[in-house]
Amino acid sequence: MRNRRRLPELAIVIAVLIAASLLLLASDNPLDRVPSYVEWNSQTIAAASSGDAFRGMLLAKRCEHCHGAEGFSAAASTPNLAGMDKLSLWKELEDFRSHKRNSRVMQPIVDSLSARDVADVVAYYAKLPVFDDPQDNRAFPQSQPDPTKAAMASRLVSFGDGERGIPPCQACHGPVAYRPGAPSLMTQNSDYLLDQLQAFARRSRANDINLPMRTVAGLLSEDERKALADYYGSGLGLQPGSSR
Amino acid sequence: MNWRKVRIFVLTVLALSLIPATRYYQIDVPLLKILQGSRHVDPLSLHLAGEFVENNLGTEQDADGSVTVRMIAEQYFFVPHCVLVPAGVPVHLRITSADAVHSLTFDGTDYAVKVLPGTISEAQLQFARAGDYKMPCREFCGAGHYAMRSELKVVPREQFSALRPEERENCAQ
Repeated sequence: MRNRRRLPELAIVIAVLIAASLLLLASDNPLDRVPSYVEWNSQTIAAASSGDAFRGMLLAKRCEHCHGAEGFSAAASTPNLAGMDKLSLWKELEDFRSHKRNSRVMQPIVDSLSARDVADVVAYYAKLPVFDDPQDNRAFPQSQPDPTKAAMASRLVSFGDGERGIPPCQACHGPVAYRPGAPSLMTQNSDYLLDQLQAFARRSRANDINLPMRTVAGLLSEDERKALADYYGSGLGLQPGSSR
Repeated sequence: MNWRKVRIFVLTVLALSLIPATRYYQIDVPLLKILQGSRHVDPLSLHLAGEFVENNLGTEQDADGSVTVRMIAEQYFFVPHCVLVPAGVPVHLRITSADAVHSLTFDGTDYAVKVLPGTISEAQLQFARAGDYKMPCREFCGAGHYAMRSELKVVPREQFSALRPEERENCAQ
């Protein structure tokens, strides 16, 4: 009789021990430096591309103030989101959510979003048109870059620099090829691009999986970073090869 | 003691521990590792845990005086971009790919290491003379293949041992 009463207690102790050991085995090594918790498997790709754009449109009302009513922001240091590739925008929002990418402005906003909200907002911005049309009053990039700088940037965008091991931008950021999570840069703001290139080079931004951007931004000279930011910022990426 | 109850309890715990999510990481993955050998690695999650997390890449000094170099090949980089090793010392290279098939070669030497996603390629290298070697990829891997080129800096042994551990990891700026 006494043994029978003890049995449930013993059972609870064993269950707790087993649960604890499973949790310990499954936890990460705290010494590992993880750039981003995003892993591009079929589940995450499905999650990133299955948002509801209509619900996203309603949620995106709170993004309008900085990122513009139609995804083109008035301030050059704020990224344009119109036509943004789903995977890259989803990854950045997830990285903000997990504090792998830091921004004092974005943090409180992203903290209020659920996983579903993120996918919905992403679906909405991916649907917004990128190209200029006479009916709209969006602030498209207007500045004309210095021709010698544009030529320098154009060479890097199309061919990279094999001597230094700099691959062409368009091999990952399009239009030649894309890599999951690499944003299309063709209508991005110049100041924002320059900020990000400098942050990658300084390593104050470090959420690129397996270090591609930290490597390449560190290999570029400051002049080249500026030239590339101006190249994409002035919309030259929309007409590849036009500046040569 | 009611052994029937004990048996039911043990079986219940076993059954619960076999629910898919738990089972995958606690049983399947270790079992796969044993069956396929330790050279199996998931190319999509190299950055999350395991041997190829970013702070584990680069050169590591072994106890016997040799060095181990861990690298990732990805479109279109070898990571780390600049590798530092001592001259005249055995170099154990462990490299895996995060995406396509790559081939790591060292200009001016006969070494070539094929890199496949999902497995760790191992090679034993040794560089007699100090100097800089270019490490181009010699397997067509995509649009940026022709610019996929890293650098190996071979420094005299004394100079290498004088470096702090974090300076040995890689020589990129």
